[in-house]
Amino acid sequence: MSNQKKWYEKEGKCGDIVCSTRVRLARNLSQYPFPDKASPEQKAEIEKKVQAALLSGNSVLSDQFRFVSLEKLSDEEAVSLVERHIVSPVFISDRRGKGILVSEDESVSIMINEEDHLRIQVMKEGLSLQEAAEMADRIDTLLAESLSFAFDPELGYLTQCPTNLGTGMRASVMLHLPALTESGAMARIASNLSKLGLVLRGSYGEGSQSIGAYYQLSNQITLGLSEKEAVDNLDAITAQLIDEERKARERLSKSIVIQDKIDRASGVLKTAKLLSYNEFMELISYVRFGLSVGMISGVTAEELNGLSLRVQPATLMAASGKPLDQNQRDVLRAQLVRQVCAQIKE
Amino acid sequence: MICQVCGKKTATTHVKTVVNGKLTECHLCADCAREKGYASLLGGWGLEFGNLLGGFFDSGQSEEKVMRCKKCGASLAEITKTGKLGCAECYHTFRRQLLPMIQKIHGTAKHKGKTPTGSALRIAKPEYQMVEVKESALEEKKRLLQKAISEQEFEQAAVLRDEIKEMEQHE
Repeated sequence: MSNQKKWYEKEGKCGDIVCSTRVRLARNLSQYPFPDKASPEQKAEIEKKVQAALLSGNSVLSDQFRFVSLEKLSDEEAVSLVERHIVSPVFISDRRGKGILVSEDESVSIMINEEDHLRIQVMKEGLSLQEAAEMADRIDTLLAESLSFAFDPELGYLTQCPTNLGTGMRASVMLHLPALTESGAMARIASNLSKLGLVLRGSYGEGSQSIGAYYQLSNQITLGLSEKEAVDNLDAITAQLIDEERKARERLSKSIVIQDKIDRASGVLKTAKLLSYNEFMELISYVRFGLSVGMISGVTAEELNGLSLRVQPATLMAASGKPLDQNQRDVLRAQLVRQVCAQIKE
Repeated sequence: MICQVCGKKTATTHVKTVVNGKLTECHLCADCAREKGYASLLGGWGLEFGNLLGGFFDSGQSEEKVMRCKKCGASLAEITKTGKLGCAECYHTFRRQLLPMIQKIHGTAKHKGKTPTGSALRIAKPEYQMVEVKESALEEKKRLLQKAISEQEFEQAAVLRDEIKEMEQHE
């Protein structure tokens, strides 16, 4: 299981700006009440049915997925799933009756009994909306062979919350926009995006703050727009944002103030003995920026992405197999960071 | 001012709505307002349902106010309060009341995009009965034949061709 490269360790298209792409489909089984109204017995039945649909002998995907029951995980392991973007924060708040099916490289996961009975999720490195949407579509089609999804010709796929009606599809890209953030353009951009039916949020989705200039951009509307239209729209706007960010990076990288911040950031990451997660994110943001404008070399954006995922608090603890207090985490984090950043050349 | 619904507590929420061109005012206490969905968590809902519910108060007891989904037991007030529906059937039961709100969220209420086809089960429109839409045995054989030919599996293709011929003759 661990030999295969995880999706986030691979190099992606436009990786200097787009860290990852995600496409999520909401589906419900027509014969059961939605999760909030379903009894523990019904939830268990739903879990069994979804598992059977994917893991049964005649399913082509059966040997690529494993089932993880959330009830059996430690707190660190559960939070680590959120940090690796396999599940949403809401999903682990109450873990009873919940489970996930995860593919070997963690790029595909199916949350069972989240806000909807099924949330099919595909993650890809870099900008890869079309591919992720296609993959999600294929898994949905496969599951629909044995599961009957709640569907209405007028309202599309029926979801617990009407905001997901229709395609039930939420597509998003994780963007790193340090130059636009630094130049104070984000408020204007966010308000323009909302007029185009898109939402810009902090990196862990709804309600989360942006740390280190990471943002999640996703489609807002799911009814009246086909999957393809929604993906094309998001793709086109992401391309424009990439363009704006690249121009801003080019411009800002000439400023001595920014050059100073980038070199200082890499200096701290190479030598620090204690690093909090927030400090790490602020600094790595500058290093990524420096890397993309050629001020820094010796590491790749993917190595930095992988590092950023590994040093998150719960993932750090889950990997070391024991709970750590904040001080211990900061020591361990600084160690991991020094190992990777030692290769950086300014 | 006393709450118009429970007639006990002090009214703190005052709702003015225009129903069929007529201005209606109602005064509610915090508890009743919450129950009617005015203190909705989901922005925008309160307003939509304000119009609907505002209309109900004039005529006293309304059927819709107490109507519950036959399948899961959810009421409109419950749905408004949580922003979540109880089950797929709720979309049928409360369709008329939900449509304005759905339109407000999405700008339309007409699905465009994927429909569960192939061998998936579908809900047919009027009666919400399950209808199986499946590739017929003959169609399946034809598809397999094309596949066999494209993969140069000619022996298998010959068998399939004969089977198809036989099936077509029987039809």
